[in-house]
Amino acid sequence: YPSPMTPMTPITPATPASESSGIVPQLQNIVSTVNLGCKLDLKTIALRARNAEYNPKRFAAVIMRIREPRTTALIFSSGKMVCTGAKSEEQSRLAARKYARVVQKLGFPAKFLDFKIQNMVGSCDVKFPIRLEGLVLTHQQFSSYEPELFPGLIYRMIKPRIVLLIFVSGKVVLTGAKVRAEIYEAFENIYPILKG
Amino acid sequence: MTGRVCRGCGGTDIELDAARGDAVCTGCGSVLEDNIIVSEVQFVENSGGGSSAVGQFVSLDGAGKTPTLGGGFHVNLGKESRAQTLQNGRRQIHHLGNQLQLNQHCLDTAFNFFKMAVSKHLTRGRKMAHVIAACLYLVCRTEGTPHMLLDLSDLLQVNVYVLGKTFLLLARELCINAPAIDPCLYIPRFAHLLEFGEKNHEVSMTALRLLQRMKRDWMHTGRRPSGLCGAALLVAARMHDFRRTVKEVISVVKVCESTLRKRLTEFEDTPTSQLTVDEFMKIDLEEECDPPSYTAGQRKLRLKQLEQVLSKKLEEVEGEISTYQDAIENELESSRPKAKGALANLTRDGSVEDTTSSVFGEDDAEDEELEAAASHLNKDFYQEILGSGLSSSSEGAGDPDGDTRPPALESLLGPLPTAASLGISDSIRECISSQSQDPTDACGDGELDLSGIDDLEIDRYILNEAEARVKAELWMRENAEYLREQREKEARIAKEKELGIYKEHKPKKSCKRREPIQASTAGEAIEKMLEQKKISSKINYSVLRDLNSKGGGGLQEEDAQPEGRTATRKLSRRKTPARRHRADPVTGVGKRLRPMVSAQPAKKAAAGEPLPLSPSTLGAEPARPTAVLVESGPVSYHPEDDPDEDDPDEDDGEPCVSALQMMGSGDYGCDGEEDDGY
Repeated sequence: YPSPMTPMTPITPATPASESSGIVPQLQNIVSTVNLGCKLDLKTIALRARNAEYNPKRFAAVIMRIREPRTTALIFSSGKMVCTGAKSEEQSRLAARKYARVVQKLGFPAKFLDFKIQNMVGSCDVKFPIRLEGLVLTHQQFSSYEPELFPGLIYRMIKPRIVLLIFVSGKVVLTGAKVRAEIYEAFENIYPILKG
Repeated sequence: MTGRVCRGCGGTDIELDAARGDAVCTGCGSVLEDNIIVSEVQFVENSGGGSSAVGQFVSLDGAGKTPTLGGGFHVNLGKESRAQTLQNGRRQIHHLGNQLQLNQHCLDTAFNFFKMAVSKHLTRGRKMAHVIAACLYLVCRTEGTPHMLLDLSDLLQVNVYVLGKTFLLLARELCINAPAIDPCLYIPRFAHLLEFGEKNHEVSMTALRLLQRMKRDWMHTGRRPSGLCGAALLVAARMHDFRRTVKEVISVVKVCESTLRKRLTEFEDTPTSQLTVDEFMKIDLEEECDPPSYTAGQRKLRLKQLEQVLSKKLEEVEGEISTYQDAIENELESSRPKAKGALANLTRDGSVEDTTSSVFGEDDAEDEELEAAASHLNKDFYQEILGSGLSSSSEGAGDPDGDTRPPALESLLGPLPTAASLGISDSIRECISSQSQDPTDACGDGELDLSGIDDLEIDRYILNEAEARVKAELWMRENAEYLREQREKEARIAKEKELGIYKEHKPKKSCKRREPIQASTAGEAIEKMLEQKKISSKINYSVLRDLNSKGGGGLQEEDAQPEGRTATRKLSRRKTPARRHRADPVTGVGKRLRPMVSAQPAKKAAAGEPLPLSPSTLGAEPARPTAVLVESGPVSYHPEDDPDEDDPDEDDGEPCVSALQMMGSGDYGCDGEEDDGY
């Protein structure tokens, strides 16, 4: 049986003895959508809400902001709404409900249908510098590194389907997840690759 | 000459007459071959008396049917779209490539990339110039030429990031992994532009050495290679006593001055910069530095930690100061005459508790310290009591720490067997997702759940009457133009509606894939096809409709068979234009009747296409044997032949013979063929 000295390859699934990174990515942004279920008059909303801006020539939606949780929402005349800027799923849901409540108070029969989280962004620091050129050589089917265009390496992981931006300073940004677990899983997948 | 033997007399003396194009046996005079294809050059006499060769210029690729003897103005006339695109692309590639001084091999490779891109529909919705530039840059990268994306951007006057986006997409779609840019590639080019004269080679070598040193010191990861080259060349120039200023270098290298200075500063921070010129050429330091962004990040982290420690120490010092203050005041109080018996007791108790709370404050988090500090400063009787009360209660809460707990838990759970390792992650996820659906359903079909929402807070987001009026005024003024335009548009639409010529401009919907035509009979198929599309202006549609009634078996099969083919094969939108012409009733097919006649039995036997009407074809055969035989043979195409035969047939269809002629008087055609010497 394997003695404690045998090296564990990163390919084996997580067992208690394998090295986990011990670093947890922090969620930075959550984008979610919800259907308020009724047609809205954007002009009314914009003119009677304190925190709303509406510039129909530029964009066909009302941009509303609330302070707690600090989020921004795009409210469309069809009744659909996009909520961005929250740092957790619960906060995103709470913020979306607050916006719906504001719309309700302004006189529209707003409901709260099909709340769905569309995108989650997380970031973390592995605390050691990363050789991007080496990574693009060994994982060239997933990586795209163009220093002329962007200083980071864009790694498109297939399973789970997440895009990671990897920088030479050791910072990693993960995006494209629909659930929190995908971000964690993606980071656990990439950590042994980065360590080399 | 070819050593053939005459069939008649067995003689081998065959004479080939190129002018007449026949081969004759000189023994018996029998003609062995007629209409030989010759490849001789013929000359005609010009009006001026000179002679010129007879012939056409045919382009290397694409159908070069239009004669462009040195003209080229009508190059794109009458060709099909794909060929036009490719030819256009080729022209642009050559034009741009020559400006970049790329050799022919590179240009050909770029054209190949372009052809691949067109076949994958990557040119749709993108400016041709961008795609061309991306193809050229891809070639530059794979070949390793010292061309930057910036050069292309300069030539096209397009934002480099836009080109970059197209380039990345192209590389991804074509699955071509271009190797990472090596800044060393650019050194010769920039060195040449900086005009070092005879010492060019030496300076280049020094610059290369510097670059390698920078690479080992992790300076080049994530940076524009041109910036690094500039810095390396500048230092190398100085080392060889060339006085190149920063301005000269940046004009060649195309980076900003601040970028160059930053690179120089970073290089200064490395230990290699301390070596002298000679030492540098000989010695290679062992240690490698961390990338500058990493060290900057670490420094920031350390600074933040230091700040935190400092602020804690500050609080401690404040706490100490306040204890001294208390001690002093106690002394003062004790030295003062003791008045207010009961109250004095209370104050003394309060001050004792203050010291204890200050002690707690030093041990606990900053919040408690702040409370203690505030209570000291206030010196209010009630405040002190409140402060002590709060400090005791806030010990147990630790609410600010609560937020940071979940991540710690996650890190604890990490090493434990996860659901994935146990292989039940999927089932767990299913359970969880079904559970999460329930709360929303339990919400009462989408009713807004108001729990956790403070109504007062929401009310603060809504303006009152006066504010709303002011905002309305401002908004109206801001958007007056837009509102006016909207009103005019409405008026215009209303007027047009009245006049009955209202044309609603719906936003363009992308064309859906056309459903293959499902029809039970040939006639139905034809009708459906006609409904769907107008095929060509050269078809007499009324005649086509009459065909059903008139044509009978064979004619219907003709039309049905193209339909059958279209039904069995998935039509992509791309193909339908070609298909259209293929399905065009018979102008092309008719032309092929004649050459196909001789080969028809073979073709019929080889027809592998499962046409639904083949049994009826056979059934109808006895009725009109010759007509059916002739017509069904060539129509049963092999799938592979079709794409090739599309174009020539389309072209052949131009000198139009109407459907009526080919179909209705099909007898004539058949008879004519039969007459043709068979």
